[in-house]
Amino acid sequence: MKRGLLGLLIAALVALPPLGEPYVLHVAIVVLIHVVYAEALYVIMRMGYLSFGHAGYIALGGYASALLATKLAISPWLGFLAGGLVAGLFAWALGAVTLKLRGIYFSLSVFAFAEVVNAVFRAFEFFGGPAGIAAVPRPSLFGTRLNTHLQFYYVVLAVALVSLFFLYRLQWTRFGFTLLALRTPATETLAESIGINAARYKTFAFIASCFFCGVMGAVHVHYLRFVSPFVFTFFLSTDLMVYVMVGGLGSYWGPLLGTVLLTGLGEQLFAAGYYKSFVYALVLLVVILALPGGLISLPRLFRRGGRDERTLPTAAEASAARER
Amino acid sequence: MDLYLHLIAQGLAIGVLTGILYVLIALGLTLIYGILHIVNFAHGEIYMLGAMGVFYVYVVLKWPFAATLVVILVLSLLLGLVVERAFFRSLRGQWLQLVVASVGLSLIIQSLGWIAFGIQEKNVPSFFTGIVSFGGVRLPTERLIAAGVGAVLVVLLYLLVYRTKVGLAMRAIEEDEETARMLGINADRVAALACAVGFALAALAGAFVAPIYSLNPGMGGEAILMSFLIIIVGGLGSITGTVLAGLLVGVVQSVGAVLLGAEAAYGLVFVMMIVVLVVRPAGLLGRA
Repeated sequence: MKRGLLGLLIAALVALPPLGEPYVLHVAIVVLIHVVYAEALYVIMRMGYLSFGHAGYIALGGYASALLATKLAISPWLGFLAGGLVAGLFAWALGAVTLKLRGIYFSLSVFAFAEVVNAVFRAFEFFGGPAGIAAVPRPSLFGTRLNTHLQFYYVVLAVALVSLFFLYRLQWTRFGFTLLALRTPATETLAESIGINAARYKTFAFIASCFFCGVMGAVHVHYLRFVSPFVFTFFLSTDLMVYVMVGGLGSYWGPLLGTVLLTGLGEQLFAAGYYKSFVYALVLLVVILALPGGLISLPRLFRRGGRDERTLPTAAEASAARER
Repeated sequence: MDLYLHLIAQGLAIGVLTGILYVLIALGLTLIYGILHIVNFAHGEIYMLGAMGVFYVYVVLKWPFAATLVVILVLSLLLGLVVERAFFRSLRGQWLQLVVASVGLSLIIQSLGWIAFGIQEKNVPSFFTGIVSFGGVRLPTERLIAAGVGAVLVVLLYLLVYRTKVGLAMRAIEEDEETARMLGINADRVAALACAVGFALAALAGAFVAPIYSLNPGMGGEAILMSFLIIIVGGLGSITGTVLAGLLVGVVQSVGAVLLGAEAAYGLVFVMMIVVLVVRPAGLLGRA
């Protein structure tokens, strides 16, 4: 049944857009982009790590592709890949240093990294300075530039579906299960005792997460047709975290649900940035205090008659022990 | 060449003065981390509220400066107690939720700040004017006094943590909370106190920089970034490490800004953090 529903959803995502208005398509594009960001972040959070700087890797991907397209006239299709590779490379460099340490060192370093990335983009004329890079071209297909919302929607949909499928399958591989085992210090020690190099697994997970952020960041920039140091800020990083936490850490569908609800509805309801950020933060605090499993835990909560009796600890609970 | 040396000397002096104010903010973070094991993202916003407090009480309401400081001190202590009680206590031991909750708090305070205070930059006139000159290095009196008061506060915190019974309780909890509780230490009360003192330090730091910078509700962001870099370099939870690292970061940033420009100086401080993480992962004085 689940598979049928999913098929129906994908069919609707492919078939319906020609009927939609440009604005509806714009919202759909924004939602799809953010769903990929959130699911990529979820790879990290699922193993009990917090990142306050994913926006930095998204920016790296976006800038890489924008620079390639505007300075060297390299096709955006290659730019998407290059964006992912650049983000992944920087993730490898930082992850190799910090993922050996306790989680908080990682979180703070990633935060600082993202801020420094934006500071560097602001500082150097080569990166466009504070004004950023304008006139980033859209990709072409068979000689046509994909300039309409509808055309670009399909680009985003294709990249999103491939990324989401990969990130979904990742959970059910040997690699994905190993990551799950690294969630608590106790199981991490256990895993290491049978010869698993925990730091290496975590670094690979971080690279994968940032790779997809970089690819989507590049797509995002080619959609906006410009990029500046003020596009991918700390607020994007925290928004993504809010989506994941509100949706719920317990399953892959949690971050997806959280992102669709909050970006889809949020963009419409609160045009003004500060009100949006206020409401997001309020929702976040309410969910953390009152519904630790996130929205995704609601059906289970009702089924069990009010009390959530999970047999497996959620990632959130498991990570609780990590810092002690 | 002479001019160059002179600029570096000037940068060094300004760096130390800025560093002391960084230390003040970062010490609050260190204190809260040591007891509650959370990195309080809302810290920068408390610093912002301290600065805004000076604008609204001292500039708009025209209260005397001393009274302004008392108002800020009392309000920040209260806010610390409330936040600890409302959020941190019910989430104790849940690392991920705690940090995320502090991020939520930071977003709420900042967005309310933009709504309430507006986007107009605010300026506070100098409390003290004039320039002091030490053998060619010229420093604004205002910065000297701010740094002097900052240094006094740092010493007071040292005395609180290392010379009082409450401080002993704090260190006991930091070392082994379970044993401390068994010995009859009221850990909840100590945590509340640590949170209140941490908030007060941030708010006072904000109050002292109010005349130095233009104020806006987003100003906490830079402060929190520097504080994070400092507590990583100094070693999480280490007070002496935080003081050392704060001064070091202040000097590196300030001399770096003279030689390479302000934005590149951030990069320099970040590189310093990475070097410390590679060479001494627990920070200069942290325990692994």
